[in-house]
This record gives sequence, structure tokens and C-alpha cells, in this order.
Amino acid sequence: MLLSGLPDSVGDDEDITRVLRSSSHFTASYVKASAFMPANDEATSVFRHGAEPREDLWRIARELFGPDARIYGAAVCKVRCIREQRLEVVADEPPPRHANIIGWPMNVDPEMQRAQQKELALVIASRSTLMRTNE
Amino acid sequence: MSEPISIAVAGYVMALNLAMRTGSGVSAEAQAVRRSACALVDSLEKSITLFGPKSIVISEIHDLAADCIDPAWDGEEATAIYPIVVERAINFIRALPNDVRLPQVAADPDGALSLDWISSRTRVFSVSVGSTNRLAYAWIDGTDRGHAVARFDGTAIPGLIMDGIRQVEDGGDVAFRTA
Repeated sequence: MLLSGLPDSVGDDEDITRVLRSSSHFTASYVKASAFMPANDEATSVFRHGAEPREDLWRIARELFGPDARIYGAAVCKVRCIREQRLEVVADEPPPRHANIIGWPMNVDPEMQRAQQKELALVIASRSTLMRTNE
Repeated sequence: MSEPISIAVAGYVMALNLAMRTGSGVSAEAQAVRRSACALVDSLEKSITLFGPKSIVISEIHDLAADCIDPAWDGEEATAIYPIVVERAINFIRALPNDVRLPQVAADPDGALSLDWISSRTRVFSVSVGSTNRLAYAWIDGTDRGHAVARFDGTAIPGLIMDGIRQVEDGGDVAFRTA
């Protein structure tokens, strides 16, 4: 059991949330693949929470990024959706509820690696629900 | 997003107001402001005439790059978007045929600029412009999906990318697959 009270292993049916820190990462209706692309540490940071309760969602995001951080919204999807792309979601606390999407394709050719990762991110984004902070 | 467009439009309207104003302000400062506003309006109108909607996308690229000029712009591990990436993305936009809908722009955490054609939730074509002349691209089209890399010489859009954009945009019969 983790400090947050959540189990160590992340279940397939759990919701995970990717906080949207760029206004370029979503349209009026959809989440873009860029929102899920990994950074240089080859992990995508998420937290283990669903769309509801909404107040808790934004509170956790504020705790993660600080009270003054600009948060545009969140992309919510099931862990199963990530694993179907042969990626993994692993708990990574602290902070509480934090987890990482790992296992992104690696390639000696950086552009090919980016293309492989983008394909997976496109699928994940297409199966995610967009939550806006101003809703 | 529409924010940069609305800011650009608001700036244009403000400049137009200043340029058109025929009030009694005759001080040197007032005349200088009016001259500057006239020059700005002239420049904007020439730009839009020359490049049409492409100038708006190019403006969005500049705005996004400015937002991502520092590392960790996402509050995490993101790489800054470098000027060479901006230059390549702008060259790509300028090279697009005029009959193709222009893409949406997004910042990737690895420092690339993503140009996205989104027809629906499950029909998307995405080109990542990085710091080299090779472009990563990927698509989903219903249950079909794929990825590849193509070389961009700075002037002509690679054929497979053009086919992919048209496929997602038109839902047509253009076949495209990785080479």
C-alpha cells in the first residue's frame, strides 16, 4: 500500500489523468497526441484519478504543479487503454497518486522513435476524455 | 487555439483605428504614432495578402515557440523549442499547397513542433518537425494506423506526407503506407 492509500500496482480499470499545461494540447473537443508524448526522461507523468469528483481533480493538479501554475485542463483515460498500446503505468509516489506511463518505443533513429511514440500517443489521445478547467 | 488569432485581430483593429483617426492631435508624438500605426496596418495587410491564412498559422508557431522558449515549459521535463525547429515548421507551412486545410500547431515535450490535421477523434494525421530535415509522422484513421519518417528539403512537402494529409482530410482512396 502506498502513502496515498492506493495499491502499489495500478489496475486496468483505474482512471489516470494527464494534466494539460499547454493550450496547444487540446482542441475545443479533443485531446491532442502531444499531450501524451513523453519528455526526455521517456516517461509521461500522470496521476491516478478520474474525472470525478472534479474539485479533487483540480486540487490534486494544483498540488502537483503549485498553486500558481497555469492548468488548462486534463485528459482522462483508462489504464487499460495505455496497456493495449504495450505501454505500462507504474505508481511513482511521492507526490501522492503520481504515476508514470513508461515503456515508450526506443530507437537509435530519433525521428523514427518520435514517429513510433506519436502513433501510440495518437491512439491514447483519441480514447481520452477532455476536461476543461473552466467547465 | 483561437487566442493568438483574436489577439492579432485586436491588434490589427487597434492599429487600424489609430491609422484612420483624423482627430485634432497634431503633436509630433501623435503624428509619429499615426505613422507607425499606418506602417503596421500596411505590413499586416501585405502579409495576409501574400500568405493568406498561412500567416496566421505562422504567427501561432511564433507565439507557441515564445511560450516554450525555456526548458520545462510544461512544469516537467520538456525541452525548449529552438529557432531551427520554428524555421523548419514555417518552411513546411509555406510549402503546403493552397488547397490543403492548414494544420493545428502543438508543442511536443521533446522540443518538436507538431502539425496536426484532425478531422475527427479517430482520424488524425500528425507531423512532428524537429531540429533535423527528417520529419516524423503518424496517423490514425479508424482502426488503421501507422508511422514513418520522411526527408523534407525545405521547399517541397514529401509525397507520402501529402498523401496522408489528403487521406485524413478527404477520407479518399489515396493509399498511403510506410515505405
